[in-house]
Amino acid sequence: MKLLKNNKDGWQYEMNRREGDCLRSLLNQFPITESNHAKISRTCVEPKTVEREKLLNESMSQHRNDLKKLANNLMSADKLKAGQNGCRLLISPEEREILFQILNDIRVGCWRELGEPENLEPKTSPPSHKELVFYNLMNLAGYFEHSLLKQ
Amino acid sequence: MPTIAEPATKPKRIVKKETRSKDDLAPTFYVICWNDPINLMVYVTHVFMKIFGWNKQKAQKHMMEVHEKGKSVLVREGAEKAEFYVHQLQNYKLQATMEPAE
Repeated sequence: MKLLKNNKDGWQYEMNRREGDCLRSLLNQFPITESNHAKISRTCVEPKTVEREKLLNESMSQHRNDLKKLANNLMSADKLKAGQNGCRLLISPEEREILFQILNDIRVGCWRELGEPENLEPKTSPPSHKELVFYNLMNLAGYFEHSLLKQ
Repeated sequence: MPTIAEPATKPKRIVKKETRSKDDLAPTFYVICWNDPINLMVYVTHVFMKIFGWNKQKAQKHMMEVHEKGKSVLVREGAEKAEFYVHQLQNYKLQATMEPAE
């Protein structure tokens, strides 16, 4: 994956066909995991905090629904263009942020499904098929995050 | 009969300023980002730059603090603003909370 252009109008990346297929497949599967209950405080237990936490989780649930619609938009032909030798991704700065949020939702979601391991390599050998799927998706999302940011 | 002339300058009326005790002030909160093994360092730096408008150097300093010390206090704000930042950070799936400052 290679950055071709970056200006105020947006970002343009080039990737090979395999990368394009993987990205499309990842976005297509979002959300891969159930949403997790988010905590707003680690120390506070007063009623206001409970109310704030409820609001946070409602807001995040809504945001996830919005991301699902936006994920479909990112896969549209004018954003992810298939060419002769590969794919071109043309996204605005806002869409790039949406893409990061979707990719990291997948990455963190898979990590949680794996039991939030400290070591990100499979601990059992060989891992179960289900575990292997989560490890692969987690790593794939990380690969795209890193590729989008490294340049 | 002697007359008493009015002084040229009158003493100023003393207006007692109302001061507020510490308890009356609106509570403030620390917005804290906690370490985890899953979020990429380059990603955390990017999110800090986006949400707080920090330059790369400042964002990296806080990211390294999260990584090495387990957490970093990002900002101190009133309840509403702190809540806003926590929502933003959690939308990016960073482990962020707001904790009372006092």
